[in-house]
Amino acid sequence: MRVREFMRCDLTSVELDTTVSHVIYLLHQSGLASLPVVDEDGRVVGVISERDLIRAVLPGYVDMLQSVAFLPSLDQLSRRLHEIGPKPVAEFMTEEVVAARPDDNDLHVADLMIRKGLKQIPVLDDQKRLVGVVRRIDLLHRLRR
Amino acid sequence: MILTVTLNPTLDKFYWVHELPLSLDKPEEAVLIRSDRSLTSAGGKGINVSTFLSCHGVETVALGFLAGHTGQIILQDLLSRGITANFVWMPGENRTNVTVIVRGREYHPLLIHEEGPPVSEEAMGIFLRKYERMLRRAEYVVLGGSLPPGCSPDCYRTLVQHAHRAGARVIVHAGGDALMRTIGEGPFLVKPDVREDLQLGALPVSTPDEIARAGQWMVAQGVEASLISHHVTGDVLATRDGVWELEARVPLATFKNLVGADDALVGGLLSALIRGEKLVEAARYGMAAALATAEVEEKLCLDAGAIRRELGHVTIRRRSEG
Repeated sequence: MRVREFMRCDLTSVELDTTVSHVIYLLHQSGLASLPVVDEDGRVVGVISERDLIRAVLPGYVDMLQSVAFLPSLDQLSRRLHEIGPKPVAEFMTEEVVAARPDDNDLHVADLMIRKGLKQIPVLDDQKRLVGVVRRIDLLHRLRR
Repeated sequence: MILTVTLNPTLDKFYWVHELPLSLDKPEEAVLIRSDRSLTSAGGKGINVSTFLSCHGVETVALGFLAGHTGQIILQDLLSRGITANFVWMPGENRTNVTVIVRGREYHPLLIHEEGPPVSEEAMGIFLRKYERMLRRAEYVVLGGSLPPGCSPDCYRTLVQHAHRAGARVIVHAGGDALMRTIGEGPFLVKPDVREDLQLGALPVSTPDEIARAGQWMVAQGVEASLISHHVTGDVLATRDGVWELEARVPLATFKNLVGADDALVGGLLSALIRGEKLVEAARYGMAAALATAEVEEKLCLDAGAIRRELGHVTIRRRSEG
């Protein structure tokens, strides 16, 4: 089955100068796990995910230890979030965009998501413009039918 | 691609009832009205046009503002129908519009429309950037429905200007001051909503003659074409080349839900234009789509076969005075 048959045609995205605060608001409102970042021509130039934001507010060694159990509280994270809130998303996004094309098949997308550990990936046209997204749940929902 | 703009989307709720006791003179404390059927769908004029187009295989993207839990239901409904959505999220709650239809009197529905959440300058700024980007892919733009609180009355005029700079043709499918302010920009087509007020600026639009005069006046102001409905079974198309009356000889008793008819008219007209038909023939197809829509309980008729069958009921007559 082709991606275009089960992708979610939701073009919710942010721009390079969108603030981190607005990204958090959008992720919360839209229920998406990440948002494509587009340039002035509408081309996807990055992705900002929950994981990118968490990484931005956690001390560097947490990633290595894979635990926050030793932190006294989450106040430090809250302070850090307030600090980076007005900053542009371009500073925190992942520039390597893992994406699918509308004519890719479902197996290819499933493999991509598993290998890269992604909850969702953008679907781009030939000019790298956003035409949809595929979430893990979209694949599961489709496979259950 | 056809871009539709719905600045004030709605969750449309339809209830069918057998009786609507509107007199509250009785001493009972409450009036209970039982509904034997209900339907819920994403709405607003632009969204309805996108729904129609998408289901008829025309590439379309719906733009506008979403807010709150109602916004999430609207988005989910659009995505589940395969419609491409590109909305700006903002605080508040999208409106819900209620239509109560009494069986046997479908021609006179009871409508309750909410105002909708206010749009901040920040949200409008985000929208304009998104709109500019999407215009590069658009052949036609449909500006549909009422303006939400907080929007400048010049909003549609500004959006027409942006679209013209990008080389897109614009259809203004709205009413009141917001529509009147676009006329000087020369949009491709205006489809005025005159449900609440049978006036277009200072011009009355109650009869076909008055509608023809109002249409010609708008064309003289710069609009390429004007399409105004009178009742459900008549439309008047005015262009620089003349004025046409479209009429359908269909008994009103066949109508089941009139709410989406105007939007099916615009969607049908656009889908015919995209197929390469001339404007007059496209308007005829649009009217057939409106008739087919009025004859089903769902808000829009998405059955191309039913629309083609209605084409035989639509007649076109060129008005002699031009």
